[in-house]
Amino acid sequence: MSLARRKLMQLIGLLGAPTVFLLVFFFCPLIIMLVYSFLTPGLYGGVEWQFSHLNYGRILGWADTRYEKFDPVFLAIFLRSLRLAAMTVVTSLIVSYPAAFWISRMRPGRRDFAIFLVTLPFFVSLIVRLFAWVLILRPTGFLNQGLMAVGLTSAPVEFLYTDFAVILGMTYVFIPFMFLPLYSAIEKLDLAQLEASADLGATRLQTFRKVVLPATMPGIVAGSIITFIPALGNFIVPSVLGGAKVLMIGNLIEQQFLSARNWPFGSALAMLVMTVVLVLLLLQLRLARREAQS
Amino acid sequence: MILRRLLSLYGLLFFVFIYAPILLVVIYSFNANTLNMMIWNGFTLDWYRQIFGFETTITDSATYVDSSAQLYAAVRTSLTVALSTSVFSTVCGTALALAVARYRFRLAGFYRTLMMVPMIMPDIVLGIALLIFFITIGMNLSLMTIIVGQSTFLISYVFVTVSARLAEFDTSLEEASADLGATPAQTFRKVTLPGIAPGILGGWLLSFIISMDDLVITYFIAGTGNTTLPIHIWGMLRRGIKPEINAIATLMLLFTLVIAAVGLYFRSRRQK
Repeated sequence: MSLARRKLMQLIGLLGAPTVFLLVFFFCPLIIMLVYSFLTPGLYGGVEWQFSHLNYGRILGWADTRYEKFDPVFLAIFLRSLRLAAMTVVTSLIVSYPAAFWISRMRPGRRDFAIFLVTLPFFVSLIVRLFAWVLILRPTGFLNQGLMAVGLTSAPVEFLYTDFAVILGMTYVFIPFMFLPLYSAIEKLDLAQLEASADLGATRLQTFRKVVLPATMPGIVAGSIITFIPALGNFIVPSVLGGAKVLMIGNLIEQQFLSARNWPFGSALAMLVMTVVLVLLLLQLRLARREAQS
Repeated sequence: MILRRLLSLYGLLFFVFIYAPILLVVIYSFNANTLNMMIWNGFTLDWYRQIFGFETTITDSATYVDSSAQLYAAVRTSLTVALSTSVFSTVCGTALALAVARYRFRLAGFYRTLMMVPMIMPDIVLGIALLIFFITIGMNLSLMTIIVGQSTFLISYVFVTVSARLAEFDTSLEEASADLGATPAQTFRKVTLPGIAPGILGGWLLSFIISMDDLVITYFIAGTGNTTLPIHIWGMLRRGIKPEINAIATLMLLFTLVIAAVGLYFRSRRQK
């Protein structure tokens, strides 16, 4: 057996099984979901193998039959999900950026430990972390106890089951997603450039806007995209902290599968999320490539 | 100078924000107040006694109806799933990482990009896609479907962890080994494998933890009768909030922290 041939056999040995596994159990399911989104829901749950574009029509506006009607509420929930995910991105950015900056200026040993501390909560059970926020935000919770003790409010403020709670919860959960790309961009920042900018008479704000911000932009974009994507499709955070009042598209999808039993419609909703995800991933890929070239 | 002070202050607040909620859960898991869990009125270990089935002074109305046996069963299910999934994902993820890092082939870049997708895809999409898939091909929802389903995205985590280690591992060591007459199999066993072992171990622990914690994907493909720990707690939360959860949460916290600390330790060792 020639060397090239042996190498090829080794490569196939390594790649073969995992590739087949992922093709069957990752790509096939996604394709089937895509197919499902174009099928007709059966009357009593289940599905009829008949092409239909009305699942999308119900969300986007052209469905107008007896059983399949357009209802603006779906679009409204989708738009709200986009809005909440965007606000989560902005909040995480504001929360993480100065912290990443601070940590990047530490001594190496302390710095590694600080990064370890930032990533550690990611490994703490998601439910535990969200439950903690329920304890803080509920009417009898710590936040209200504190506010009333200080005298800022006489009656408990309703924090739980609001947009605020959902954004806060998602920000909390996704901090490592934003922090790590930001940090790796800020770490690469050339301090000499900052000094040069200051020496040339730029104010701190000008230096930040003209030097720091453009230099860390790749980190900002990458962090924003990988925070936005899981935030958009999230359904655990809105279920725990948003209750029935703040529904996101994830909740809607869950309902279609577990209570409404309209799988084709649920698939169409999921495809809507996937479309946004794919667009963002392609965008990120192109930006990363452009950055690599320059 | 002032700016620097402000930044430090902000940084400390940042860590308070990250850790205070978790700490509150831990502290209040020792709260003796059975009527209003939000008000501290003394130290107790009763909630832990309750979990482990010891005698307590807690009245039944203050606790969930679930028996400890149900909780243990959920823990057992979670451990079974996590062990199988993490071992399988580690083998697959490591094989893929080795292939991409050590062989030149046209699809290498494609694989590298593709392995990112399962990690950041919203988990609900993967969850329902798997549900539809299993039902369509007639596979009954069981422990097996959970293991298969979780592996689809955990392979990626292992892949990334092992790849990072491989990227920093000096290939000249492998070349030296080959020059000294070792067969490829020997080189792999004696040089490559020990070299990337910390990465493999880290990837395994990482996939183990994530599997233990996975709620969304498992939620859709578990079927009835296969309750993992996160699903069990999810069910409890849906029936209202009782202090018992604090204690369960604290125990879970302890468990994950130990594993995560070991895992992150191995991952950080690559810098040395």
